[in-house]
Amino acid sequence: MTTVGRLIGRIRMKSSPERLLAVLFMIVLAYVVFVPLLVMLKETVLVHPMERFQIPGAMPGDFTWHHWKTVLTSPTLVKPLMNSLIIAVSLGLLSVLVGGILAWLVVRTDMPFKKAISNLAMIPYIMPSWTMTLAWITIFKNQRIGGTQGIFQYLTGIEPPNWLAYGMLPIIICLTLHYFPFGFMLIGRALQNIDSQLEESAELLGASRWQNMRKIIFPLVLPTIFSTFLLTFSRGLGTFGAPSFLGGPVRLYVLSTLLHSNLVGQRTGMAYIIALIMIAFGVLVLYMDSKVLASRRSFVTISGKSGYRGVTSLGKLSKPIGIVVLALMALVVIVPVVVLAIDSVMLLPGRYELSNFSLHYWIGPASSTIGLGTNVAGVLRNPQILEAFGNSLKLSLATALICGTAGMLIGYAVVRLRGTRTAYLLNNLSFVPYLIPSIAFGSIFLALFGVPRGPIPGLYGTFTLLVLACSVKYLPYAARSGIGAMMQIGPELEEAGEMAGAGWLQRLRKIVFPLQKGPFFSGLLLPFISAMRELSLVVLLVAPGTQLATTITIRYTERGWTAYANAVMILIVAVVLILEYISRRLLGTDLAKGIGG
Amino acid sequence: MRKSTLWITILLVLTLLAAGTVNANEYADEDWDEIIRLAKEEGELVAYAPTSRLAIAAQAFEEKYGIKVTTHQLSEVEMIERTYREAVTGINQVDLVLIEDLPSMYELLIKPGHLINYVPPAAREAVPPEHQNPLVFVYQPRVIGYNTEVYEEEPIESIWELTLPKWRGKVLMRDLAITGEHQNFFAELVRRSHELEAEYERFFGEPLVLTEENAGLEFMKRLIQNDLVIMTSDTRISEAVGARGQTDPPIGFIYVYSHHRHKEAKDLALEAMENVKPFSGYSYGMFIQIAAKAPHPNAAKLFANFLNTPEGYEAWHNGVGFYSMNKNIDPPEDGHRDSWDWWAERVWSYDVEFATQNRGYILDAWMRFMNY
Repeated sequence: MTTVGRLIGRIRMKSSPERLLAVLFMIVLAYVVFVPLLVMLKETVLVHPMERFQIPGAMPGDFTWHHWKTVLTSPTLVKPLMNSLIIAVSLGLLSVLVGGILAWLVVRTDMPFKKAISNLAMIPYIMPSWTMTLAWITIFKNQRIGGTQGIFQYLTGIEPPNWLAYGMLPIIICLTLHYFPFGFMLIGRALQNIDSQLEESAELLGASRWQNMRKIIFPLVLPTIFSTFLLTFSRGLGTFGAPSFLGGPVRLYVLSTLLHSNLVGQRTGMAYIIALIMIAFGVLVLYMDSKVLASRRSFVTISGKSGYRGVTSLGKLSKPIGIVVLALMALVVIVPVVVLAIDSVMLLPGRYELSNFSLHYWIGPASSTIGLGTNVAGVLRNPQILEAFGNSLKLSLATALICGTAGMLIGYAVVRLRGTRTAYLLNNLSFVPYLIPSIAFGSIFLALFGVPRGPIPGLYGTFTLLVLACSVKYLPYAARSGIGAMMQIGPELEEAGEMAGAGWLQRLRKIVFPLQKGPFFSGLLLPFISAMRELSLVVLLVAPGTQLATTITIRYTERGWTAYANAVMILIVAVVLILEYISRRLLGTDLAKGIGG
Repeated sequence: MRKSTLWITILLVLTLLAAGTVNANEYADEDWDEIIRLAKEEGELVAYAPTSRLAIAAQAFEEKYGIKVTTHQLSEVEMIERTYREAVTGINQVDLVLIEDLPSMYELLIKPGHLINYVPPAAREAVPPEHQNPLVFVYQPRVIGYNTEVYEEEPIESIWELTLPKWRGKVLMRDLAITGEHQNFFAELVRRSHELEAEYERFFGEPLVLTEENAGLEFMKRLIQNDLVIMTSDTRISEAVGARGQTDPPIGFIYVYSHHRHKEAKDLALEAMENVKPFSGYSYGMFIQIAAKAPHPNAAKLFANFLNTPEGYEAWHNGVGFYSMNKNIDPPEDGHRDSWDWWAERVWSYDVEFATQNRGYILDAWMRFMNY
């Protein structure tokens, strides 16, 4: 009897809700993360139809080491790899630096215009990264790519040199301007959470301001700095738009362009090897990050927020610094938006005459005589575009809700199981989708969920498949945010509830959720924004009835009718901003919390 | 042994003969009225194409027959991926595809039987047999363009001039690594190396000294080493070449000619060269195929037929740079360039089989010369 009782006790202990949750999520994640990785791995050792001609005597489907040998011994891998690493590392460091300085100024100094600055600082991330690139080309292009003068040359008469117009420098700058909001939001939150009493005590003990900074603040935000680096580094490695656009004119290639080229060349095996190399580097940084995160635990107990926060006075410089920062922010935000907006109200591209400005591509009827004679109705009266826009909204909302819920539950499980191997595994597993390049991810999802497998019906062409793909891809944001949020509730509250006889669900409903309402809604924002402007992940998965705003506009960009695509982009930015504003007002959400700060 | 070889040969010949006769009468007992009836019963179809024009044709089709066509614009890679996945998983959605980049399509979709070649009534008599398998929808030229504001006459007469210092950093081309058709065409340059070599000797008066395996690769290498400027969009190439007010405009190398449609609207001083030796560009086809397991096979056939009539072709007819092989469809209104024969004399096409087998070799060489 006693043995049975003990057994039941053990099972009950083992099967605590958080443990069940963790196991459940691990099974799901293993399926959507490991299976794709295995599929990719398998593809790298198979002969593909177009690859067989370079392998004497091979038939499609045969086993081969040829791709691995070719890729690993090929000199064409070295430079793109180095370039990718340079871009990724620089992007990581600069995002930390720019975001960090900005965060420090906003949180810890008496600089004016803080509110405006923090609102503006978020917008670059809402726009797709290529808008920054487009703006850069419009301003700094030189005669190397022919055509009309760039704005810089038009104003100064000086032709920008190649190193300024194209290549590594502009790629890094454009990407930094796009991703620094990560650093700003994350580090800003970390700085806010530091208890000022720590600094005061140090000051009382005679520490100088610099010592204070170095010995107290820096160690406390170090884990956040690593997280920022990880998030932006991985993006730098995977990004395709900016390098292909700005790198081409000076022949700068990166891993993602190499991956794309091999896909176009129908060399699937080699393409997937490159994708795996990209993932491997991401995992390496993830590993380093989790080492640092492990040490963060010792700080958690002291990160309770106190009412008072020390503010460094910038003295006489405070106003000038505020003005300069505000101006820079405005520049970074306004220039790309204006470039997009102008393009969407010009009948013919590149002609800056008053008569050429019109709202035709916004509200005009389908016409074969006005402007480019596109025969397509303006964005706001085009039923196809509007329907697609509606789908995008639906997809983003569904993705955000699923991600947010899953992220909270993962956060709950990871934090409650803190220190166990399960927590460690779940935490890292939930981040892996972030590291898989979108192009590869979309095609694997198609293979994985196209046909019925076991209890999962065939999802090809359904809206569910889109939601599923986006949810998995953006889960990392939500999981990070969930873990960050759960860290802040001690287990005591729940234990008290348990003592009082509350069941698990009741505890979640009555204790955890009310406390996490803010962070929960904040956690929805990033998946929402990302799904709203996703293209490469979904392009293979959309079906007749599930066209999205981004997938439907490629048909116009292909023909050089960028006005439509740009108008849609502005609509997306506007919708995201409005929703963000509403949710901030109504629900008190904070984008920074959504990134897991 | 020898006897069996003979038998096999005989068998093969017989099969081929039989296939020939079948081909000729393939559609003999097809009841077209019945197909129209069934198509209307099916009521809808799904089509994939690399071009947005199909959506316009789809609308006209729906107005005429009441059959709804849902079109998807996909790149080559995406179209292959989707069509292939649908075929192997049995979740078939697509009925009709317009395809470019024939070598990949042939190898990955046509050969395994995922796509079938259907010649609709409107094409059987009107399209010459040599353009029927696979059925050509249009041929499109890719041209070498120059700025007419700066150059009154065509600035080059031989393709080899592009490798001279005069044009250093002044030639724009879409990245071959992301353009399947470019890979096919450069394979053709390798195949016709002797012609490139002969042209070199004609122009410079001395034989070409090879540093690579053949004159095709030699040309590619010299073009790249002459600081070729790599672009990602043909639209931008045509605008960059034709923009007014330039003093030293570049040359646009093998971009899609249909961009000339917007010449007036965009106020471009742009013209395509006509007399470059040994080629003034290259052409590639867009082909109509029907999915082997099309869920709406009759609607697909009816739509294929519609695209082969002037009505269905309207979306292509109002632009320049598209050439139907169908004699019932008027050539584009484009001055002296209104016949495909005119182009065929000036631009090269490519050998599908050779391109299929050598694309990998071309891409590798490109990456090597680009010093990836």
